[in-house]
Amino acid sequence: MKSLLIIFPILLLGSLTRAQETFILEGKIEFEKKINFHKALDGLADNDFDNSWIQSMKKNFPATITTYFNLYFDHSKMLYKPGREVPPSSPPVPDWLVGPAVDNIVFTDLDKKENIGLKHVFENTYRVEDSVRNIEWRITMDTRTIAGFSCRKAVGRIMDSVYVIAFYTDQIVPNGGPESFSGLPGMILGVAIPRINTTWFATKLELVTVKPEELTPPKKGKKVTVKELLEQLKGPMKDWGKMGQRNIWSIMI
Amino acid sequence: MRQLTAIIAFLFLMVYGEFSHAQQASIKGVITDTSNQKKLENAVISLLRKSDSVLVTFTRSNKDGVFLLNKLPAGEFVMLISYPSFADFVDPIKLEPNSALEIGDINLTLKSVLLKEIVIRQNATMRLRGDTVEYSADSFNVRPGASVEDLLKKMPGIQVDKDGKITAQGTNVEKVLVDGEEFFGDDPTVATRNLQADAIDKVQVFDKKSDQAAFTGIDDGQSKKTINLKLKEDKKKGYFGKLELGGGLNDRWNNSSMFNRFRAKKKLSIYGIASSTGKTGLNWDERNTYGSGSDNMEYNDDFGGFMFYGGGDEFNNSNYYGEGLPKSWATGINFSNKFDADKQNFNGSYRFNKLNSEGVGNTISQSISPDTVFYNTEGRRTLNSRNRHSVNGTYEWNIDSATSLKIIASGYLGKQSTFTDFHNESLNEFGDTVLKSVRQTSADGDNSNLKLNALLRHKFKKTGRTISLSLDQQFNNNSSDGYLYALVSTYGKLGLPEDSTTNQLKKINQKVSTFNTRLVYTEPLAKKIFLELNYAIRSNTSDAERLSFNQSGSGKFDDLDSIFSNHYKFDVLSNTTGAAFKYNGKKFTGSIGSDISFQRFNQKDQLNDTALVRNYTNFFPKANIVYKFSSNGRVSLNYTGSSRQPSIQQIQPVADNTNPLAITIGNPLLKQEFRHNFNFNFNSFKVLSERGIYIYGSLSTTSNAIVQSTRIDTSGKIIYQYINTNGNFNTWSGGGYGMKLKKWDLRINGGFGFSASKYTTLVNGEKNVTNNYQPQINFNLGKFKDKKYEIWYNGSFGYNFSRQSIRTDLKTTYWTQDHNLNVNVQLPHKFEINTEIEYNLRQKTVVFDQNNDVFLWNGYIGRKFLKNDKGMIRFSANDILNQNKGYNRVINTNVLREDTYQTLTRYFLLSFVWNFSKTPAGGINP
Repeated sequence: MKSLLIIFPILLLGSLTRAQETFILEGKIEFEKKINFHKALDGLADNDFDNSWIQSMKKNFPATITTYFNLYFDHSKMLYKPGREVPPSSPPVPDWLVGPAVDNIVFTDLDKKENIGLKHVFENTYRVEDSVRNIEWRITMDTRTIAGFSCRKAVGRIMDSVYVIAFYTDQIVPNGGPESFSGLPGMILGVAIPRINTTWFATKLELVTVKPEELTPPKKGKKVTVKELLEQLKGPMKDWGKMGQRNIWSIMI
Repeated sequence: MRQLTAIIAFLFLMVYGEFSHAQQASIKGVITDTSNQKKLENAVISLLRKSDSVLVTFTRSNKDGVFLLNKLPAGEFVMLISYPSFADFVDPIKLEPNSALEIGDINLTLKSVLLKEIVIRQNATMRLRGDTVEYSADSFNVRPGASVEDLLKKMPGIQVDKDGKITAQGTNVEKVLVDGEEFFGDDPTVATRNLQADAIDKVQVFDKKSDQAAFTGIDDGQSKKTINLKLKEDKKKGYFGKLELGGGLNDRWNNSSMFNRFRAKKKLSIYGIASSTGKTGLNWDERNTYGSGSDNMEYNDDFGGFMFYGGGDEFNNSNYYGEGLPKSWATGINFSNKFDADKQNFNGSYRFNKLNSEGVGNTISQSISPDTVFYNTEGRRTLNSRNRHSVNGTYEWNIDSATSLKIIASGYLGKQSTFTDFHNESLNEFGDTVLKSVRQTSADGDNSNLKLNALLRHKFKKTGRTISLSLDQQFNNNSSDGYLYALVSTYGKLGLPEDSTTNQLKKINQKVSTFNTRLVYTEPLAKKIFLELNYAIRSNTSDAERLSFNQSGSGKFDDLDSIFSNHYKFDVLSNTTGAAFKYNGKKFTGSIGSDISFQRFNQKDQLNDTALVRNYTNFFPKANIVYKFSSNGRVSLNYTGSSRQPSIQQIQPVADNTNPLAITIGNPLLKQEFRHNFNFNFNSFKVLSERGIYIYGSLSTTSNAIVQSTRIDTSGKIIYQYINTNGNFNTWSGGGYGMKLKKWDLRINGGFGFSASKYTTLVNGEKNVTNNYQPQINFNLGKFKDKKYEIWYNGSFGYNFSRQSIRTDLKTTYWTQDHNLNVNVQLPHKFEINTEIEYNLRQKTVVFDQNNDVFLWNGYIGRKFLKNDKGMIRFSANDILNQNKGYNRVINTNVLREDTYQTLTRYFLLSFVWNFSKTPAGGINP
C-alpha cells in the first residue's frame, strides 16, 4: 500500500513534465457529431405559419441527433469514418429530415494535399476526389480545452457564406481534422458550423499505433470533383427551398 | 508615341518584377525555452496577416529549435509562436520584398512562470476586452415613441451617426439581434430604426471576442461587434388579419374576416365567415393561423412521414360537398398562451356554425332478386338547417424533462331540422308500374357531445423504459321528434292500385357513452429490443329509444305502434391485455405481439323486458416490419386483427320505416365481426434524379361480417336486416411512378389503382355474392415557374364491374374518365389569371341511361394592389358553362343506384381581399 502511494505522485509528476514536451504524431480520435435538430427545424420554416408542423415535429423527435466518428491518423495520412453506433431515438428521425451525407468516410493525404471522401447523397454514393480545401482561417487568441487539449479558435468561411469555427491544438502535429477540415497548424479537435446547426467535438484521443494499411482511401462510389458534385446538386435541390440550401451545405462540407 | 511605349514597357517590367519577387521573402529563427535554455522542437510558428489575422502560412521548429518560413509575400504580418504550456509569443513583422529576415533566438516562457503576471494583466484588460456589457433600457430617458436608435445614442460608450451607423466601445457594430435572433438581414438600422425604445428591456453589447453561443444556441462564428436588444415580454405584440368581401348576382356572396392579435406568448384570434358559395369554415392555412393549429398530425414510422387526419363532419370541413345549395355562417374565437418558461401551454376555442341547404335530387336504382328485377326512380326536394356551438380546450404541462401531462376536452351542442319531400315509382322487369309513392319526412333534433382525454407519460432514467396512462371519456346524445307521412300505392296483376298510408310521429332518443383507460409500459430488453405491455378496460354503453306513434281517434299522435317502437340498452365491457416485442434497428424495425380481449355483451329490451348476455374471448395478433433499404426508400408490411361490435342501430330489434319502401330491421343476435387486415407499402424516391415510385396494397377479410340481407317483395319494396356472413373481403391497391423531364422542366407521373370487393349476403333467403372490381389508371403533367406560371393536368380512366351470383346475366360494366386542367399565370402590371377545367365522363349503362357528363369550367382574373401586394380585386366565375351537378353511382350490392343532385352551378363573384398587419415592435411576427 505504501509503495503504491509513492508511485502515484511520481507518475503524476512524470506525466506533467512529459505533457510539456510530448507531441502526438499518430493515434485515433473519437469525434462526437451533434446536430441541434430543433434549431435546424426552426431554420427550415419558410414563413411564420409553417410553425405548427415544426412544433409538431419537435414534439416527436429529440432535440439533438448525436453520432460518433473515428479519425485515424499518422504523420501524413488520415482516415475519418463512422464510429460507435448509438441506438436510434423512438421514433427514429426519418433520414429525409436528418439530411444527406451523415456517414461520410474521408481520407486525407496531407503531403499530397489530397482529399478523398465517400458520401452517401440520397440515392447516390459519391467519391469526391479533390485537393484539400483552401480555407482562409482567421486565427484568434481564444482558447478552449477539448478532450484535455488546449485548443485555439480559428474562424473560416466556406462556400462564400458558411462560417466554420474550428478549434485546433498544436500538441498534435499532423494538420488534420474531422470531415475534410484541415490546414491549421495542428489537429482540429472541434468544429462548429452554425448554418447547419452542427458541431464536431473530440471526446477522447487514443494513443494507438496506426498501420499504414489502415489508412487507405475509400474506393467505392462515383468519382467526382467538388465542383462537379455541386453542379449535380444544384438542379434537384432548387425546388426544396431552405431545406435544399441546407442539404447542399451539409453535403459540401 | 515612342515615349508612351517606353512607359508601358517600364510599367510592365515593374509589375513583372513585383510578381517575380513577391514570393521571395523569408524568416528564420530559433525557438528556445528561457528557463531551461533548451531548444524547443515542434513549436508552431504561424504568420498572420496583420489587417485581419488571417493565417498566411505556418511551420514547426525542428529538433534544434530552428524554423524557416520562405516564399513569403511582402507585407505586414503578425508572427504567432505557440508551444504547449508556454505563453504565446506575438510580434508584428514587416516584410520587404525579397528580404531574408533573421530573427535569431526567440525565448518562450512557461505559462506557470507568467501566471501571476497574466492574472493581473487579464484583470486590467478585462474591461477592455469585456464580457457582455448590459444596459438596462429603462434607466435612460427618451421621449415617447422614440426609436431604439434614440435610446442607443444616450448610452455611454455607444455612438450613432447620422446614417444610423453604430459604434460601441470604439468599434463599428455590424450586427443587431433582437432577442438573440437575427432581425431581417444584416443591416443594423432595420432593427434600430423600426423598433420603439419602450419595447426594449435590455441592450446587450458583445465585445468582438465574446461568445454568442448563449444567444443562438451555437457559436455563429461571426465575431462582429454585436448588440442584442432584449424585448420586454409585453411589447412583443401586434396583429394581422385578412378581410375578404365578395358578392354576385342571384344571391351569391362570400365574405370572411379574420384577425389575430398577439402579445408576448398570448395569442387571440377571431374570425367570421358568411358564404353562399360553399365555404363553411377555416381552410388548412387559416386553421394554422387563426384556429387552434394543426393538432391533427401524427408521425408514422411505417412510411417515414406525417399523417394528417381530418375532422369528419360538415362543420369541420372548410367546404360544403353535400347535396343542394348551401348558405353558411361561421364564427370562432381562439386563445392560446404559454407560461412557466413554456412548460405549460393552453389553447382554447369556441366556434359557432350554421349551415342551411336546399336542393333537389334524383336516384335511379336497380334491385336484383333471384327471380326478377325492379327499376326504381326517386325524386326528392330537401330543406336542411343545422347549427352547432363547439368548445375545445387543450392543456399541456411538461412537469419535468421526464414527465408530461396533456388534457384535451371538447364538446358541442347542436340543432338540426330537416324536411324532405319524396316521390317514387317502381317498374317491374317488363316495364309495368308496380308501385308509386309520395312521402314527406320532417324532423327537429338536438345533438350533443362531450369528449375528455388525458394522457400522462413518464420516461425513466433507463433509456427505453416508459410508462403512459391514458383516460378517455365520450358522451354522445341524439334526440329528435319527426313526422312521417307516406302514401304507397301498389299495383297488383290486374293493375288496380292498393293504397296504404303511414302517418306517424317519430321520437328518437339515443345516448352512447364510452370510457376507456389504457396503461402501457415499455421495457428495454436489449439495446434494440423492447417489450411493450398494455392493459385496457373499456366500457361502452348505448341506450336507444325509437318510438313511433299513430294518430288516435282524437287526432293526436298518442297511439304507440309496437312494430316500429323499441327501447333498447346495449353495453359492452371489454378487458384487454397484451404484449409485444419491438425491434428498433437502423435499417429494420419490427414488432410482433398479441392482445387478448374478454368482452361481455349485455343487451336489454326495455319495452318487452327481455335480456341477453353474451361473452367473447378474442385474440388480436399484430405484426409489423419496416425495412429502410435506402435513405429515401422503404418497404413495410403490416398485419392486425381486430373486432368490431355491432352498433346500437344494427342490434336494436326494431323496424325502421322512415322509408316505407326500404325498411331496416336490427338484429339482437348479431355477433361481433372479426377482421384480418394486411397492408403493404413500398416507396422509393431518388432525390438527385428526381424520380419516385410507390406501391401500396391493402387486403382485409372479415369473418362474421355484419351485412344487410335484402328481401324484395312483389312491388319492389325492400326489407333490410342486419345479419352475419362469411367470405367477405375488400382490397385496394395502387402505385405510381413520377419523374421530371429535366430538358423541359416538366413533371410527369403515371399510376394505377385497383380495388375489389366480395360481398356475401342473403337476397330473398338465397345466398348472393356481389363481386365487384374497379381498375383505374391515372397520369398527370405539371410545369411551373415560381411567380410566373403554373400548369397542371390530371387524367384518369377507370373501368367498373359488378355481378351478382343470383343473376349472373345482369352484370354492370362501364367506363369513367376524369380530366382536370389547372392554369395560373402571373401577368404584368400585377394581374393574375387562373382557370380550371374539370371534365368528368361516365359511360351510360342499360339502367343508368342518363347523360351525366359534366364539363365544369371555373376561372378568375385578379389584380394585386397596395404595398407588398396586400390587396387584391378579383372577378371569378364558377361553372361558366352552367353544367355542374352532383353525382354518385354505387354498384357493390344487389341494389345498384345512381344519385344525381343539385349543386352550385354558374355564378359570378366580384371580391376584394385585404391582408393587413401591424407590429409595433417593427415587424416581428409571432
